[in-house]
Amino acid sequence: MTNHLLSIVVFAPLAGALINWLVGRRTRNETLIGFVACGAVAVSALAAFTIAFTGWGGAALTGDAATPVMSHLWTWIQVGSFRADFGFAMDRLSGIYACFVTFVGLLIHVFATGYMHGDKGFYRFFAYLNLFMFMMLTLVLADNLLLMFVGWEGVGLCSYLLIGYYTDRKEAGDAAKKAFVVNRIGDWGVVLGIMLVFFLTSHAGAPSISFFDKTAATVGGGDGVKSALATIGAMPIEAFGWQMIFAGGITSAAVLLFIGATGKSAQIPLYVWLPDAMAGPTPVSALIHAATMVTAGVYMVVRCSAIFSHAPTALFIVAIIGAATAIFAASVGIAQNDIKKVLAYSTVSQLGYMFLACGVGAFVAAIFHVMTHAFFKALLFLGSGSVIHGMHHEQDMRRMGGLRKYMPVTFAAMTVGWLAISGFPLLSGFFSKDEILWKTWSTESVGTAGVGKFLWVVGIVTAVITAIYMTRLMVMTFWGGERFRETRAGGEADEAHAHAYDAGTKPHDASLPSAGDRPRHEPGGSVGAPGHDAAAGPHALEDEDEEEEHHGPVEPRESPSTMTVPLVVLAFLSVVGGWVGIPYALSGGAVPNYFERTLEPVVARAPEAGAANAQGESALQRGAGASAQPPAAHGNEGAVPQSVGEGEAGGVPASEHAPDPAEISRERLFTIISVVVALVGIGVGWLWFQRKPLYEMPRLLENKYYVDEIYDAALVEPIKTGSREGLWRFFDVGVIDGIVNGMGRGMREIGSLLRFLQPGFVRSYAAIILIGALAVVGYFAYFAYNAVLVINR
Amino acid sequence: MQQYLLTILILLPAVGALAVGLHGSAPYARAQHYRWIALGFSALTFAVSLLLLGAPVGLGAGGTFHFVQDLPWVESVGAHYHLGVDGISLWLVLLTTLLVPVSILSSWTAIEKRELAFYASMLVMESAMIGVFVSLDLLLFYLFFEASLVPMFFLIGVWGGDRKLYAAIKFFIYTAVGSLLMLAGIIALWYAFGTFDYAQILAALQADPHRLTAEWAFWLFLAFAFAFSIKIPLFPLHTWLPDAHTEAPTAGSVILAGVLLKMGTYGLLRFNFALFPEQARNFAPLFVVLAVIGIIYGALVAMVQPDVKRLVAYSSVSHMGFVVLGMFSFTEWGMQGALYQMLNHGVSTGALFLLVGMIYERRHTRQIADFGGLSKPMPLFATLFVFTALSSVGLPLLNGFVGEFLIMFGTWNTGFVYLFWVGERAFHLNTWVVTMLAATGVIWAAVYMLWMLQRVLFGRVTNEKNRRLADLNWREIGLLLPLLALMVFMGAYPRPFLERSRASIEQVRARVVAGETQGVFSAAAQESK
Repeated sequence: MTNHLLSIVVFAPLAGALINWLVGRRTRNETLIGFVACGAVAVSALAAFTIAFTGWGGAALTGDAATPVMSHLWTWIQVGSFRADFGFAMDRLSGIYACFVTFVGLLIHVFATGYMHGDKGFYRFFAYLNLFMFMMLTLVLADNLLLMFVGWEGVGLCSYLLIGYYTDRKEAGDAAKKAFVVNRIGDWGVVLGIMLVFFLTSHAGAPSISFFDKTAATVGGGDGVKSALATIGAMPIEAFGWQMIFAGGITSAAVLLFIGATGKSAQIPLYVWLPDAMAGPTPVSALIHAATMVTAGVYMVVRCSAIFSHAPTALFIVAIIGAATAIFAASVGIAQNDIKKVLAYSTVSQLGYMFLACGVGAFVAAIFHVMTHAFFKALLFLGSGSVIHGMHHEQDMRRMGGLRKYMPVTFAAMTVGWLAISGFPLLSGFFSKDEILWKTWSTESVGTAGVGKFLWVVGIVTAVITAIYMTRLMVMTFWGGERFRETRAGGEADEAHAHAYDAGTKPHDASLPSAGDRPRHEPGGSVGAPGHDAAAGPHALEDEDEEEEHHGPVEPRESPSTMTVPLVVLAFLSVVGGWVGIPYALSGGAVPNYFERTLEPVVARAPEAGAANAQGESALQRGAGASAQPPAAHGNEGAVPQSVGEGEAGGVPASEHAPDPAEISRERLFTIISVVVALVGIGVGWLWFQRKPLYEMPRLLENKYYVDEIYDAALVEPIKTGSREGLWRFFDVGVIDGIVNGMGRGMREIGSLLRFLQPGFVRSYAAIILIGALAVVGYFAYFAYNAVLVINR
Repeated sequence: MQQYLLTILILLPAVGALAVGLHGSAPYARAQHYRWIALGFSALTFAVSLLLLGAPVGLGAGGTFHFVQDLPWVESVGAHYHLGVDGISLWLVLLTTLLVPVSILSSWTAIEKRELAFYASMLVMESAMIGVFVSLDLLLFYLFFEASLVPMFFLIGVWGGDRKLYAAIKFFIYTAVGSLLMLAGIIALWYAFGTFDYAQILAALQADPHRLTAEWAFWLFLAFAFAFSIKIPLFPLHTWLPDAHTEAPTAGSVILAGVLLKMGTYGLLRFNFALFPEQARNFAPLFVVLAVIGIIYGALVAMVQPDVKRLVAYSSVSHMGFVVLGMFSFTEWGMQGALYQMLNHGVSTGALFLLVGMIYERRHTRQIADFGGLSKPMPLFATLFVFTALSSVGLPLLNGFVGEFLIMFGTWNTGFVYLFWVGERAFHLNTWVVTMLAATGVIWAAVYMLWMLQRVLFGRVTNEKNRRLADLNWREIGLLLPLLALMVFMGAYPRPFLERSRASIEQVRARVVAGETQGVFSAAAQESK
């Protein structure tokens, strides 16, 4: 099925970016720029939904699972048997992604028109934002691994540009660079993984990096392309064992790809860039660093589920890393005081859940959580943006409090987000998180069978911590005393704001050194005379004037409707978004699990405990020594791979038409545990922080376990110093140039060295020639030197 | 007409140089006239060189060179005036004819003394560089190879920076040592074959691979390879490059990085691979190791340079390491990628040097510490600088990525191990490990480039002198535009390039891997089974 609407989905935002870049920079008309940017994304969203849901568009989501909607544009790179197309495809997985990315993206674009109002780089901001949408959709809709990598690096670039959006702030520049470099470390793995996939498929006789089977018709002539995933899906499942990582088989490919995922999706050990990325404007944090880009790693793992499901060792690693990241980041998040930092660590933690799901083979649950998370985390970030906006660019929660009076809409919306992420029953986060925890407990994947119970405990503890830190965030922000009155003024940050207002430019969060988690002055500490400074100058927002006359410039205020409307829409989605994936055990079949039914046919299923053992031994032997052997050579009749592959259309998933009563009651029990855990977490957080909103958190947590410092001391500094002193000053300038300069001075010494050469017919000739050559060069060099001297005189 | 096209291409710039010289003796001559004459001739050369694209796609198929001209030259020694292009040299000629007018335009206001000599040198150099890439006679090749050295020596020594003398002499000695060894090799080949003609020697070797004894071939390979490795430059023969690049005037750096370095890799491909295939195979592990060291080493040293131009220079060591790595993978992917990366490097690094030259012209400093916050006074410059840097670090959809990816891809798929002997002991070099190491070069590239961008472009304006810098003018935009357009085009649609070079690359590859069915290292692969 070919459909050029797909190109519109992808290229509309690019057109918007170009228009804004070329025209917007001249007109500087915010209405026009905002209209172009939002319009481009709206067109994209409309096209995406058309393709996904209407027969006219191809019905990627509702039609036959085996026939994705394809659009082949041109052959990008073709050398030898390697071929990478510039072509897009929407199947059920990318369809879900494309829909929520464009829709949430649209809401955030609208929000940003209000949030960035008055910013000098308005056109630039929206050009970058649109460019990001282009890259993200390229990533999602690419029909092969290499084009996906284009989007993969492209979103990294946009992230770089947007984190560093406030170019005159050093922190922003550092954070942007860090994000790009850390992502590149991950990309290293992706590139190698792609090559290994090609290697494996070409040894199986069908060289390909394509996700889908493509016939000659879809690629416009020539030979068709066989899906690499189907080829690998037909191979035997590899044995479980650490040596498989280095064996150069499917496991190695999966691990390499996962390295990329840890970079892009901020998992241990490459998560360090994401919290710093909060230096970017808040809509960017919502769009890129919460809802869409950071879930690209999950997308890739699920997209390549055929590969991962054949690599139990890799799945095991994914599960462990995911769980570890989830609990680690949650424990850091509980001690942060910057409202955006809390949400950043929360994002890292939630991404950990998604990888935990992937690791236990619950790929569908991972995508489900990606979607619900996109709703409620975008909501929370935009809500925090609204708070920051209303607080005149204060991000430190210790200087907030009692805001619910002043910002009722924001408060209501964020309350929904808070309950959703905490797992409050019937909200979206509840269903997806519960699904992941249940799948973790009940997994029978190789390697994780016994560990599943342990990982479930980790997940449950993380759920408690999540509820606690989110409650803390809400309490510190919206309840309690109005601390912004006590701690107002005196801080240099506030003065800087005032000056910026006077200058008629409107700074945003993080555009000034006030951002971040370094308090300029302790909460409650002595502060100058409040109120008299910063008698607001030219006002950026019209509705600001009257209020400020009454209360002074820090009076919090509700945000304009461009910002609150997206909040309300996202809040609505955060409530109902989970209803498409209600498990059988809870609904009793009354509501079909639409989500699972849609995705099940296009993702592979994880291997079960018994499946891999049959060929485990042979695979082990193979893996230990000769990595040269293509795994397909060992076609083993012992076990049929569990993958249903890309091409096969699945029927109704097993989980729905085989309701084992014992299983169901157990699942219900675990749901109850989840609910209890969520409520306990919220309750603990409430009692704890309602009483003491400024409770001092352990230093170790507040300082993020000193991971950044450790990385700096163990990696960054040694490499810098080693390169400067060792490689450059000592080796390059000292040793090599020393030798060269020495040679220039003493050719005689060279001559004497040559005597030590072994005598021999050719060699003595060579020696003579070398000496002769050096003599001639010496002569010419002398001549040339004099010539230049003469000219320069 | 066809057969004279290459001669015309070689002569056009030379005639231009003559015209510049003659104009200098005219009484109404002005310093500003020379640049127009030079620009005119180099632009004309570029236009004429586009005619080369008229040759059929799949250029060089079946061992044929196109636009061949073969005249007896020095009959007593069997030297021919033999020219021709195939799919490899075609692109390098076009790269040359493109970069010369661009760099002449970049010198418009930067060169303020001895303009006549400067523009004449540029044109002479263009003649020589084109000659290098189209010569099919070893003596002729050598002549052009050396002829390109002289004008570059003067460009650095006369119009260079503060340490120009040191840099120029160093450049001269390094290159001359190499090329004299090559001369010895060429003479030795003449002894063996009685001719300097590349095609004849090649035919003789194809007819009888044992015409050269292994020992002769070994030393001949080394002689050629040494000359070319210096030119590339391959670690550890690279130390002339940072000095020469840094001290040369902008135009010199562009030509040096854009074209001269490619003579080395071109020479390896054309002569070492085709004439001494067995030695090329035997030496592959050495070159692969040196290339990987160069990739990482060049990047790490680039990272800590306090001088922008020197940083770009060291980045060249890293990029050219990729080219060598790709060539010695002996796969179609790697070798195609290597050729493509030569072009990419010429475009991207050329553009980087142009951009650095633009701020040098404004501030007369190259120290990173003297800049900072340039995106405020020069937003357009900042945009283009970031764009070019991204192309250089291999961002997908820009040119650098295609080349680097193909090179890594080719190395990865070489076939597991390079097998080599030291004495009687066999050593294995796992190409996967090699690729993994080489791929870290992409990470380092991001580190040094972005760090440099941050310190030069972003942050607050710390130096008062930078506050009022003028943004790019139309001439500067104009000379960058073709390169920027190429970066996008070559990144998004590399097919026209790869298609035209495929047959020629395949031919060289067939020579190197001759007799080996499953790739070069099947012996090693079998052993590992």
